Amino acid sequence: MDERLKRLRAADRISAPTIIKALLPAMVRQRGDRLLGQDDALTAGFGQTATGLRIAVLGVDRGTDIASRRQKNGGALTVPGYRTALRVVAHAEKFQMPVVSLINMPGADASPQSERYGQSQAIADLIAATGQLTVPNLVVFLGEGHSGGALAFANANRIVMLDDSLFNVASPEAVTAILHGQQTISEAIDLLPMTAEVLQQRGLVDQVIEHDDADLIQLIIQSINQQLESVLTLSAVEVVAQREAKFQQFLATWPVN
Amino acid sequence: MSHYPSTGTWQTCPACGRHVHQRQWGTYHQCPFCHYWQRLTAMQRISQLVDESSFTPLAMPEQSVDQLDFPDYPAKLARAQQQTGLTEAIVTGTAMIEAQPCILAVMDSHFMMGTLNTAVTRRLIHASEQAREQQLPLIVVTASGGARMQEGIYALVGMNLILAEFARLATAQLPLITVLTDPTMGGVSASFAFKGDVVVAEAGAKIGFAGARVIQQTMPVQLPADFQSAASLLANGMLDDVIERPQLRSYLARVLASYGIQGGHQHG
Repeated sequence: MDERLKRLRAADRISAPTIIKALLPAMVRQRGDRLLGQDDALTAGFGQTATGLRIAVLGVDRGTDIASRRQKNGGALTVPGYRTALRVVAHAEKFQMPVVSLINMPGADASPQSERYGQSQAIADLIAATGQLTVPNLVVFLGEGHSGGALAFANANRIVMLDDSLFNVASPEAVTAILHGQQTISEAIDLLPMTAEVLQQRGLVDQVIEHDDADLIQLIIQSINQQLESVLTLSAVEVVAQREAKFQQFLATWPVN
Repeated sequence: MSHYPSTGTWQTCPACGRHVHQRQWGTYHQCPFCHYWQRLTAMQRISQLVDESSFTPLAMPEQSVDQLDFPDYPAKLARAQQQTGLTEAIVTGTAMIEAQPCILAVMDSHFMMGTLNTAVTRRLIHASEQAREQQLPLIVVTASGGARMQEGIYALVGMNLILAEFARLATAQLPLITVLTDPTMGGVSASFAFKGDVVVAEAGAKIGFAGARVIQQTMPVQLPADFQSAASLLANGMLDDVIERPQLRSYLARVLASYGIQGGHQHG
């Protein structure tokens, strides 16, 4: 496997639950979609930060050993996971809490069950809901995030990435598979803009954090606070408009013939 | 495999493998042996759906260019344009369906599998803006394999931008009708395909997020024959209806009539 991918998928990779524990020591955990079930890959809830801000969090991680990886489906969120996140987002909207997402997830859960229970609709609903949030939201890419599933969390006012993390239309493996193996996985990473550095240069990513900093957890929390602060003063209408404008401006850099 | 050519006057039916002469496909492009509905081009679809010469294309200046230097992409685009006579994988315009006005957007799977890219995104957003401007319902006929890999994350952000625009269409209380045709997969399925106020599929369409091939690469499962079929989605509560191709026009006319929106320019 490509060395870069190995690092993102390693068992000792910093994960969402670790940061959430530091960010919201007294978090009220929210579980389940009240319909189908619950998804262990999602760590969600709300609480107060050390700086006194009430926020909601959504974390997706792959698990750290065989047992937890199995339990978390390797971080491939299932329909109850997206639907639970949707419930958390609606709750955050109701109580006007900014939403912080921390993700490291592979692409879609390719399974008959996820198709049966409407993976497409669950993802679409979450993308739509995060887009219309009247409170600011922010995503931190702790590893990988690809495809519509990651976009559901990354449809945000601010995007922060660890310097070695990846954000793409599909995982490097999926890109090569879809294009019938014309490129190797390593080539796919270099071919398409998906690294933190490139995406920051292209204006989609707001901040990049060094993954090997000794104080990484504190650095991430600091970044969350700083980035949120810059959008907290916006009105409800401005928050929605700023989020859409961010992506519109990114799209506008693609030339028109 | 075949001793008949697969293009030209004879074609191999993708479903049953039998050889079908072009006249046997008939007006609605159905295999006479197995009743498979052949995938339509955008222009064939439009001519089946709208009142004669009522379709006026919206200005579509947006064409794809290659910004990422993805290998072979410009050549693939040029080939798709040459083969389809289209400039991109979607055609949009104003139309009348049984004398009722609407904005119609039709994707074309013959153009790089109808993949969603920056140009398709821009055209679809423009179509929705026109629906709001003219106070008309928007009908979107999907046919897409998902997001276009060659445009990377620029293709991905089409999903949230289209949904943001459709939220404005909803605020304007204008109906969005989505017609899911074969295939509707990936990023199109997971963004606007199911966001219609009315969501219907054409009979025989494959609809889903991850395709059967990808699922079977991930896990060794036997998938049922009707996996991701329009009929199974209807049975599972994902669709309002499944419509046979010859009835699609009258069905859409009935939906439009039931909303009863006659249009008129929005001023001020």
